[in-house]
Amino acid sequence: MPVDKDWTQLRTLLLAPEQTQLDELRERLDNRSVEPRDVSRVLPEAFAIRGGADQQMSTVLTPYVENGFIATVRKSPQTIVDAIAPIMGPAIRQAITRALQSMTEAFNHSLDESLSIRGLQWRLEAWQTGRPFAEVVLLHRLRYRVDQVFLIQRDTGLLLHHVAADGVVVQDQHVLSGMLTAIQEYVRDSFGATRDQTLNQFQVGEWTVWVEQGSRAYLAGVIRGTPPASLREKFRDVLDRIHAEQADAFVSFEGDTAPFQMVQPYLEDCLQAHYESGQSRNALKLWILGSITLLACCWWGWTTYQAHARWAHLVAQLKTEPGIVVTNERSMWGDHHLEGLRDPLATDPSSLISEAGIDPSTVTALWSPFYALDPQLIKRRAQVMLKPPSTVQFHIDGDTLVATGSASSEWGTETRRLASFVPGIAYYRDQSLVIVSIPDLLSQINHAAIHFSPGSATVEPSERSSVDQVLVVLRDLDHAVAQSGQRLRLEVLGSADGTGSVALNLQLSKQRAEAVFEMLKGERLGASTVVTVGTGGPLDRRGLASQYPAQRIVTFQASTEPLEPKSEPARP
Amino acid sequence: MMQKKVCMLGGFAVGKTSLVRRFVTNMFSEHYQTTIGVTVEKKTVTVDHQDMMLMLWDLYGEDEFQHVRESYLRGSSGYILVLDGMRKATLDTAHMLQQTVVRTVGPLPFVAIINKSDLQSEWEIDQTIIEQLREQGWPVFFGSAKLGRGVEELFGHLATLLMDPSLQPRAHS
Repeated sequence: MPVDKDWTQLRTLLLAPEQTQLDELRERLDNRSVEPRDVSRVLPEAFAIRGGADQQMSTVLTPYVENGFIATVRKSPQTIVDAIAPIMGPAIRQAITRALQSMTEAFNHSLDESLSIRGLQWRLEAWQTGRPFAEVVLLHRLRYRVDQVFLIQRDTGLLLHHVAADGVVVQDQHVLSGMLTAIQEYVRDSFGATRDQTLNQFQVGEWTVWVEQGSRAYLAGVIRGTPPASLREKFRDVLDRIHAEQADAFVSFEGDTAPFQMVQPYLEDCLQAHYESGQSRNALKLWILGSITLLACCWWGWTTYQAHARWAHLVAQLKTEPGIVVTNERSMWGDHHLEGLRDPLATDPSSLISEAGIDPSTVTALWSPFYALDPQLIKRRAQVMLKPPSTVQFHIDGDTLVATGSASSEWGTETRRLASFVPGIAYYRDQSLVIVSIPDLLSQINHAAIHFSPGSATVEPSERSSVDQVLVVLRDLDHAVAQSGQRLRLEVLGSADGTGSVALNLQLSKQRAEAVFEMLKGERLGASTVVTVGTGGPLDRRGLASQYPAQRIVTFQASTEPLEPKSEPARP
Repeated sequence: MMQKKVCMLGGFAVGKTSLVRRFVTNMFSEHYQTTIGVTVEKKTVTVDHQDMMLMLWDLYGEDEFQHVRESYLRGSSGYILVLDGMRKATLDTAHMLQQTVVRTVGPLPFVAIINKSDLQSEWEIDQTIIEQLREQGWPVFFGSAKLGRGVEELFGHLATLLMDPSLQPRAHS
């Protein structure tokens, strides 16, 4: 039909675009399946809208996220490690550093106090309370330490975040936050204070609680000890920073505290501690102790060295000493021991010990007697045993004793008999010994004369040699007489010439005899020898000695007589 | 974790502390101890797979001598009105306390519990009154702190209410 055809053409011309849209809509309605492309367009926006409205989105997705996370950890743990390493690394390092610092600090404090009296008291306290010694030391040396810091929402009293120092026992920070807030409200109400007037501080035992108020939250610090005012400024500063950085989180806060995890570093910054510094004092003490120890060691070392040197020197000296043989010696901790052989005529070791600067009481010596064959000791032994007169000299020639000088025949005979009995002497030789007899000696003395100047009673220097000759003869005579078992009587007789009065001559004679007598007095003579002073025989009418008339001399009258146990008034 | 402040309100000796103790520690003591001021306890509950920490402010009982300090109510997300079924007067106290909360903090989610259901035969609050309360929109529970009846349901229901964002007032200044 042409009309219908025209209408169809007209409708197509007029409604073609709409018809196309209509067909598309019909097709969509007929085909209800959702195209991923369409969903991808709206998905982010849909998440944002629903997530902002409530927590349902999070609740629904949480199990899937958790399962996905667990599956990823099982399948590819390295991926997770790589992802969280940048976060965990610094945190772990920080934790380890803190733990090490804390341990080192505790160790240092313990070491400082370990030897002091105070340290011993604290050790006793640690033992009584069952707490570690390091902890007791830290508590006693504590000036202040912030044990805990609370960030609390001001209206609700809900705990937003909390940090505590290492080792602090935390009871229940949430309940504590609530009660802290309740107490503040109570106090404020009780005193009719305004909202701005708050309880800023209270004290319980050794703890002080500082409260720093902010517009949205307040900071509460539990502090042990006496904190400085500067710490309050620190709290204030931290609270201001938190308010500035978490302003949005405060406004939208409805009980979710997760956003406040970010304040952890700020609160940890408040966990300050200050301990009594005993470093300088301890350093001084250590210096003094160290110096004393060093000085003591030096002194001990020096005295030990000196003692050792003295002992070594003594032993060396004893070993070179004739007549002493050291067979064993030892020295330990101030006690000395000597053992060996000693000739009775050898030098006394005690004198050597004293001379070496060693206390003889610290030396135990055990000497066995023996005869040494050293020439000087053989000579000394011969002198002791043979008792030679002063005119005899001994020499040791190998095992032969050689006697020289002069001696009486009695001594010469006796010595020839005894010499070979002296230990160390095999032979005796006295070819060079001049043998003199007692009568000869008496004759020599009796013929000697000392001459004087006129009117003088002084022995002239020129007469000295005569006196010396008399002395030599007298010495031999004295020895020979003693050997023969007799005694010698010697008279010193003074004389004067014919001039002058009798009294004067008599006095002069006596004075001259006494002058010579004085010179003889210095000679050591035998105990049995008697020397007397007198004038030269009976005086004539001029007062002259009859024996030597008109002579200014002193003569001698020596004689021997049997030994009598009778002491004489004058003997030199 | 989500935290919410919840106040326990009611007349003198209605059993607020007993309910809290039963809820938190599952214990009950016959020995009565009056609460001085306020005691704060906490209990974590799970609602729709999400944990929530309830900070329970157990306030002292309201009577003619002392009234609840309004400052304690500040910041609350919800509250529980506790009535003693054996004392009708505690209903009036509950009404007054509810009005105080509305006046101070605003219309917060709350639940009411008529305690001491173990002695229900001696109750002065009858079913008619209960129905009237429900008509007023009060979620009314029966419970016994002594027997532990209705306690979990009471706190669970309040936690569910607190989880609903539409019921949460923006009460923070």
